[in-house]
Amino acid sequence: MLIERSSSWKEGFIQRLENHEPWNNSVLYSMSYDITKNNLITDFTGLQSLAYLPNVKPLPHQIKAAERVIEQMNGKAILADEVGLGKTIEAGLIIKEYLLRGLVKKVLILVPASLVNQWVEELYTKFHIPALLYKKNYALDYVDVVVMSMDTAKRSPHKEKIFAQDYDLIIVDEAHKLKNHQTISYEFVQSLKKKFCLLLTATPIQNDTFELFYLVTLLKQGHLGNYEEFSSVFSAKNRDEERDSYLKELVSQVMVRNRRQDTGVEWSTRKVHTVPITFTDYERQAYTAVSNLKEISPVFSDAFSTMTLQREMCSSPEATIGTLMKLLPECKQVEEITHVEKVIEQLEKLSIHSKAKKATELILQANDKVIIFTEYRMTQLYLSDYLYANGISNVIFNGKLSKSSREWIKHLFKQQAQVLIATESGAEGINLQFCHHVINYDLPWNPMKLEQRIGRVHRLGQEHDVQIYNLAVKETIDDHVMKVLQGKIETFEQVVGELDDILEMKERSV
Amino acid sequence: MHSTEIHTYLHRFFTENDCEILHGNEHYLTVQLTIDMDKRIMNRPFYWRYIESVNEIPNPAQLTLITDMKQLQNGMKGEVIHLGSPRLHQLFQVTKEMGQFVKLYERVGANNEQQILTPWVGVNYKVSFTSHQTKEILYSIGINLMTGAVVKEFQETIGMRDLSDQSSEQVFHLPFIITPVRALDRLDAVITKVIEGEDLTWVEEAEKRWRKDQAVLDYFYEGQEPKPECYEMEKRAMEERFKPRITVDVVNGGLFYLK
Repeated sequence: MLIERSSSWKEGFIQRLENHEPWNNSVLYSMSYDITKNNLITDFTGLQSLAYLPNVKPLPHQIKAAERVIEQMNGKAILADEVGLGKTIEAGLIIKEYLLRGLVKKVLILVPASLVNQWVEELYTKFHIPALLYKKNYALDYVDVVVMSMDTAKRSPHKEKIFAQDYDLIIVDEAHKLKNHQTISYEFVQSLKKKFCLLLTATPIQNDTFELFYLVTLLKQGHLGNYEEFSSVFSAKNRDEERDSYLKELVSQVMVRNRRQDTGVEWSTRKVHTVPITFTDYERQAYTAVSNLKEISPVFSDAFSTMTLQREMCSSPEATIGTLMKLLPECKQVEEITHVEKVIEQLEKLSIHSKAKKATELILQANDKVIIFTEYRMTQLYLSDYLYANGISNVIFNGKLSKSSREWIKHLFKQQAQVLIATESGAEGINLQFCHHVINYDLPWNPMKLEQRIGRVHRLGQEHDVQIYNLAVKETIDDHVMKVLQGKIETFEQVVGELDDILEMKERSV
Repeated sequence: MHSTEIHTYLHRFFTENDCEILHGNEHYLTVQLTIDMDKRIMNRPFYWRYIESVNEIPNPAQLTLITDMKQLQNGMKGEVIHLGSPRLHQLFQVTKEMGQFVKLYERVGANNEQQILTPWVGVNYKVSFTSHQTKEILYSIGINLMTGAVVKEFQETIGMRDLSDQSSEQVFHLPFIITPVRALDRLDAVITKVIEGEDLTWVEEAEKRWRKDQAVLDYFYEGQEPKPECYEMEKRAMEERFKPRITVDVVNGGLFYLK
């Protein structure tokens, strides 16, 4: 085998023999030897980095995950621990280890814009890795570790700048955002060379197994075969247990997934409650009126808009009115317009919503900090007013807030307000262990969104059992949403592994 | 390295580099840098260019380095130094640069009759075995320039001798029979031999993993000709990841006159 050596020391030595340069200090000479000996990487396996990190005490499952990724998975893995188990710590350990061993020089870390600062800070304070927060016009030539928002990185001229570099390690946080292989983000990550690569997500399957197929293929092409084979063997229709366990085995070769109970840490438990709600007669009439709009005008004829309106109706009249107002200009005929306006009037008359009433009861009963999640901005505003009217202090959190406002709102919630009303986009990446009541005011189609919501409070540091209330209106679209969620959870568990409770499962298969 | 070892190291490093230790105890030290050390470690080339161009009196920095974090609670200000802190890493680097080449003589008692010292070349090699994983081994080898005899663990043997960078009086230095340049070539051959004798199962292991991944990739693109760009890229990534390499670095070395 070829042995690489550099001749620079030899040249320096000969120069000194010929009296061109002075000799060095003998004490520094011995010190240099001792340092090298002390810091030698004496073994192919094991984590050397632990000795270099006095500021972090990684948990056993985090150390094991890092070792497994480096030693068995050859540095290419999906880190899919449940929310709140410290995937960032695992990633940090892996980066540090590779840097120390000299196997990696340049690292590119792609994250959602809202998490960029957090990454830079954690890498520096916990791992002593100086990472650059990428801004426009920054040159990348002399920067070893860079953190970039995915939305910036995938666009010109930034992506060209990235392609001009030679990164050894690519890290993508919140990698479930790459589930769709037709997006620009997916194509961008696909086009990067991946000597080593980590994809971080607590929720590698959101809707169906194909998302996992694309995620794994992005990491390691061919690991799950090609698309045709995969879809013929693993499609939802012809499922059988043997194939599922085979797929699970294949997936586990490229994925680390720690569950809360595997961590050796005492976890508080989740108590999931389904809270059924009955519409009042007026509400039921309005719901029917909204459902029947499809027969009045072609504007509402597609299944999607009816479903949206029904879901909004189960959330708040305000959300429904918002959508109707938006669609109204598209109605052409006078009868259509007057009919829609009538429905709007009908909705405006609904002063109290049964769901809001129930939520208020739950909050008063809890007599403690509560987070309410809703899908709709209008519902958020409505609820805020409604709660104030009932003497409950609250603050609003959504994706439009700047970083400093987010911190401020979080602070207000911790110190003063009883209730935080949040939308999904706003809640990404924030940690609220001081609260242990979660109300899902309306349910998303995707169970992983629920998991992410609950993960805001059910994470390391939570001392109480977490109470989760899923509100659903009886005999409405909510029933259907529940059923879809159950189906998706089953798919996830068959392929990835068990999930902590999200829904109250009536007939959990054993 | 424990904090006490680091403290000892810092103390020696600055003392040897003529930087005055202003005050300190076993948990911290405050040091006055020399101009040369300031230029090496303080990372402020513009300051130095300015000072030198206007002929100002230079004011090299003082550093407080804390090796025991608990001291911070007493309100002490300074840089916390631990294994893994960038500053320590930087000082290691400087140590390496400033301790690369030596020429040393063994001291002899003054009263005796004339003593004869034999020339040796000693080199410390760091050998890295790299594929998807790494391992390093340090070899210290010396060669007698009179006889060509090779000694392993050379650094350990000279560590026990009393060496000086000045030759004692009344000492006769034998001339080389093997020139130092030839000696280095001989040492290269020795180190190659030594490496070949090491356990090389890691090479097989890396190649096995490489073949396996390559087979999966080839299967994925089976029947596609010509292969797309992403196939070639993944293939390159795989080579970078798995290709076994052996690198030999010289940590330092020198010319030694020994009894």
